[in-house]
Amino acid sequence: MSLASPHAAQESLTFRIGKNLFDMSEVAGGMAVLLVRVLWRIARANFDWNEFKTNMYKMGVKSTPIVVVTALFVGAIAVIQAAPMVQQYGAYGLLGWGAGFSVLRELGPLLTALMISGRVGANNTAELGTMVVTEQIDALRILAIDPLGFLIAPRLLAIVLTLVIANIYADALALFGAAIASKAMLGVEYGVFLNGLTSGLLNFGDVAHGLIKSAFFGLMMAIASCYFGLAVKGGAPGVGRAVNAGVVASATGIFILDYFVSFIIG
Amino acid sequence: MIAIQGLQKAFREPVLRGIDLTVPKGCLYGLIGPGAAGKSVLLKHVVGLMRPDKGKIFVDGHDLLQMSELELQGFRKRFGIAFQNNALFDHLSVGENIAFPLRRLHKDMTEQEIQDRVDERLRAVALPGMQDRSPPSLSGGQKRRVGVARATVARPPILIYDEPAAGLDPVSSQKIFDLLKKEKGDATVIMVSSDLDRLLTVTDRVGMMLDGKIIFDGTTEQAQNSNNEYVRQFVHGLTEGPL
Ligand SMILES: Nc1ncnc2c1ncn2[C@@H]1O[C@H](COP(=O)(O)OP(=O)(O)OP(=O)(O)O)[C@@H](O)[C@H]1O
Ligand SMILES: [Mg+2]
Repeated sequence: MSLASPHAAQESLTFRIGKNLFDMSEVAGGMAVLLVRVLWRIARANFDWNEFKTNMYKMGVKSTPIVVVTALFVGAIAVIQAAPMVQQYGAYGLLGWGAGFSVLRELGPLLTALMISGRVGANNTAELGTMVVTEQIDALRILAIDPLGFLIAPRLLAIVLTLVIANIYADALALFGAAIASKAMLGVEYGVFLNGLTSGLLNFGDVAHGLIKSAFFGLMMAIASCYFGLAVKGGAPGVGRAVNAGVVASATGIFILDYFVSFIIG
Repeated sequence: MIAIQGLQKAFREPVLRGIDLTVPKGCLYGLIGPGAAGKSVLLKHVVGLMRPDKGKIFVDGHDLLQMSELELQGFRKRFGIAFQNNALFDHLSVGENIAFPLRRLHKDMTEQEIQDRVDERLRAVALPGMQDRSPPSLSGGQKRRVGVARATVARPPILIYDEPAAGLDPVSSQKIFDLLKKEKGDATVIMVSSDLDRLLTVTDRVGMMLDGKIIFDGTTEQAQNSNNEYVRQFVHGLTEGPL
């Protein structure tokens, strides 16, 4: 059959869609299996404590600058978006609440996760992928070291913790950024902003909502970045492709999880 | 003794197509063959890093494929392996890379004993005083020699070298082979190398792989005088021939 035949093209399109779906479920299944195996090791405390500390520093501490910058601007952006409504209705007292609500529940966790995914997740995939192509993982296994306990479990824990802690900082900084933007753009006094924030419309539940999301985003990012790192094939170019796939999968997964977690915990 | 029977492994395509091979205890075995013949894949089966689709592997009488992952983890302590891609841990210094197997497998050694052994290994591979360097800062040949030092540091009874001399100049290459031979003791050694001129100066037996099969297995002398046209072409590096 010639390639130009419309029938052939149609077949190959269905084939391609099918193949893509198949590949996607293979990846999702692979990640689920990896997650279970890693959680099992964490549950038995069968993981490398030093590796955890190293990664906490590398992932957590070193992410501070991007978290600070992102968070300050996220707060300011929330205010810019709310400004027209606030001005139209003169609802200056509600500005703190409005900014706080969107920052704590949605913008803080989501944007922090996406920023950290670009840095920590990508780096994690590259590091693991390099270890695969240079046979470092095999070298660990030869020395009777379980790579999942030694490398993956500590990274997963470090990523989830990094995200939750970063989110706490980000919440505070974003609200700080929002307060400054309110004063600078709308002339809302800090006291008024703070009052809107603490008037009782927002409570710990809103903070917790964001933190729970962060934990899920961290899990998603950790599993995607580790999965694609461990699955690297084909030398250095393979590492590049894996980093790419890992970041895309993390981001996609984070948005999907965001929807479901928001829906479920309301 | 390492005994391999009917070993088959396919990834997308078959890579090992029924390997039968016996490496006697204490033998220094040279495994040769053109690129992509399946040499590295075969070595990874021997140390239990890969599981075959079919076939059996016995190491000192133990059936590798009957072992659980946990038993296998323990069993792997018998092997020292220098990987084709060096497999040095980038986040550890050269000294810590070499010390790594000792710290894992010999928890009773004191820090001083470990450092002494690392020193001694570095001198043996002609890299004295390089403890504090980081692996990415080494040249290809230096990495290779650190890999050899790490493989041998715990003195395992079975040693596997995948291209231990690739990227080394002829003199360093000969030195590495001489060192490996000198230190072999009663260990069983399998060595893959493309540097045939030098490899064959140290081997007891030689096997040649081609397209996932062992097409020759014999003493070094038999390899050098073989009438098999593939072996003859490969061993003598001729351009005329079936390869
Ligand atoms: N993990 C893997 N997944 C898929 N294919 C693989 C894998 N490892 C090896 N192969 C394939 O198996 C074949 C044999 O590879 P192997 O590394 O054993 O060759 P080799 O004999 O060691 O070659 P060289 O001398 O170049 O190192 C190659 O075609 C390779 O692409
Ligand atoms: Mg090879």
